[in-house]
Amino acid sequence: MLPHLDAAFNYARWLTRDDGDAEDVVQDACVRAMRFFSSLRDNDARAWLFTIVRNTWYSRASRRATAVERSQLTDGQDHWPDQALDPEERLLQQHTVAVVRTALEQLPVDFREVIVLREIEGLSYKEIAAVVGVPIGTVMSRLARARERLLTLLKLASPRETLR
Amino acid sequence: MSCESVERDLDAYLDRELDAESSAGVREHVRSCASCRRQLAQRESLARLVRAAPYYSPPDRLRTRVLVQTTRSQSVRRIFTWAAAAVLVLSVGAGITLWRPAPGRGDVIADEVVNGHVRSLMANHLFDVQSTDRHTVKPWFLGKLDFSPPVIDLASIGFPLVGGRLDYVGGRSVAALVYQRQKHTINVFISPEGDDRSTRDLVLTARGFNLRHWIHNGMSFWAVSDLNSAELSEFTSALRSS
Repeated sequence: MLPHLDAAFNYARWLTRDDGDAEDVVQDACVRAMRFFSSLRDNDARAWLFTIVRNTWYSRASRRATAVERSQLTDGQDHWPDQALDPEERLLQQHTVAVVRTALEQLPVDFREVIVLREIEGLSYKEIAAVVGVPIGTVMSRLARARERLLTLLKLASPRETLR
Repeated sequence: MSCESVERDLDAYLDRELDAESSAGVREHVRSCASCRRQLAQRESLARLVRAAPYYSPPDRLRTRVLVQTTRSQSVRRIFTWAAAAVLVLSVGAGITLWRPAPGRGDVIADEVVNGHVRSLMANHLFDVQSTDRHTVKPWFLGKLDFSPPVIDLASIGFPLVGGRLDYVGGRSVAALVYQRQKHTINVFISPEGDDRSTRDLVLTARGFNLRHWIHNGMSFWAVSDLNSAELSEFTSALRSS
């Protein structure tokens, strides 16, 4: 379990957007994971731990229903200046990390988690489907929509293209 | 291929989840269509940006707490293992024959390779020599091993060499080269090809890690990482062809 602790924590931190909450969720998840340790054998332990982290977070979050509610509702009031000639270069300079983090945190959690699992953790569509508990087709459409939103938030797409 | 179907497949294309034929279709279309090419470029920029997002590390106190919990639950499991062993001895004694195939040598080594990888990450002993310069790493092994491992840097395709160390796999000292892909560590264990010629190329998954094994120029290679399978294949094929 320990080798995947970093990944579990990173995923939990993106779900919760809070250090303390992420820590609690991961600790609970590890306790749960150990209870079902026998099923950890040969299948993908990392993806499996993600599933447990996610379930743990959801069961905690539904107790404090507002957490999910809030994250579903926050939506793209983007507040970055536009009009740079090369947006990517501009972003890559100084504030990339902060800007990307803010943009990701603005995404609804359903979108945010598929981006984190795909782009940061490198899971396949099949693995994401297993973690999130939805069909592969849903993973694909969520990823596509999440990317469209991020493109708009990060001003990488011209408005004409994203409003299509 | 029409723009519409290319747009639909663009994400799967970038995520390498598209079959070879459709991928070729997208590549060909993009070559001649400026609008789709722009969309592809936007998504590639986006992927690079998102990978610049922070990777959050757990605080040490969490690591300690989980370690303590794991050890505790392992000792409970050990008791169960002994109990199971006792039952097994009894059933054999009762005349029940049990047959279990012996694990292949490849499996045994794979297990040791995963152990070596996990150990290097847990004990914080990833390097004996930390350098991105292969002309520093390669000579470091001189006099420590009875062979000279090939040291190749793949920074140009996004897998920088970050160092090397000595490790012990399959009953002998081996060279371990360490590569980095974003936050993922890849260990490559290299030793002279042994007498066991039955294990050629292997693609394995063990305990959540992806493994690759191959033999090249008389050397046996084992690559192991928590990196996803597609990117690890990209890495190993680049390593094999350099």
